[in-house]
Amino acid sequence: MPAMEPAGTSQELQAWHDEFEAAARRPLRLRMRYAFIKTYRPVLDDEPFRAFDRMADYRAWCETALPSWLGYGRV
Amino acid sequence: MAAFEYRQAEEIRDAFARRGVRYLFIGKSGAILLGFPDTTQDADVFVERGPENGAALVAGIRELGFDLTDFQAAEILRGKDFVQLKNGPFDLDLVFAPDGIERFSEAWARRIEVEGFPVCHPDDIIASKAATNRVKDRESLPRLRAFRDYWAQHRRSEAGARNGDRSH
Repeated sequence: MPAMEPAGTSQELQAWHDEFEAAARRPLRLRMRYAFIKTYRPVLDDEPFRAFDRMADYRAWCETALPSWLGYGRV
Repeated sequence: MAAFEYRQAEEIRDAFARRGVRYLFIGKSGAILLGFPDTTQDADVFVERGPENGAALVAGIRELGFDLTDFQAAEILRGKDFVQLKNGPFDLDLVFAPDGIERFSEAWARRIEVEGFPVCHPDDIIASKAATNRVKDRESLPRLRAFRDYWAQHRRSEAGARNGDRSH
């Protein structure tokens, strides 16, 4: 079991709450326009199709094949 | 390739509904559908494993414009845990066995419908991300948990308001 991440500080929580409130006022179509982005991710975006027998295989591949700065490695 | 759009989510919803595919939006894309304000690149769907659902899924994916070879279709039908598609109009991850969720049926029973989109319950999205324990998930989990609490509170308020309306 991974260790629990620290909860946000009270200032962070208030800022997040404000963001949630603002998002709730927007229609889903607009929220999605803001949310989905496209940037090139080396290696990950270089193949049109990948399939992994087990999730563990995929996680292991992410750790060995992808640049660490993409954040797909395990903590 | 451009970013994933609402229209494409509708296309998934409608194509999969026509084929009877059992699936749920999961991951950050699922959280975004629930109202979580954040950014992501891919749409992730948790698909029920099984021959009939697999065949319906392959047909639906082809209808959406993904250029699947017979070999790739067979890989999906074979019951892989994870398939990454970048050979269509948008990027789509097919997850058949997400970390942290025991059975599709349980997640399905807890699903949330948003404008006709079937979405994993925030608790399942969080459980999956927590179990994965990736650097990028660990960074986003505190904010996602705060969103889950906010979302649940609003849901209770809305349900209370509806019940109040009925009692008058």
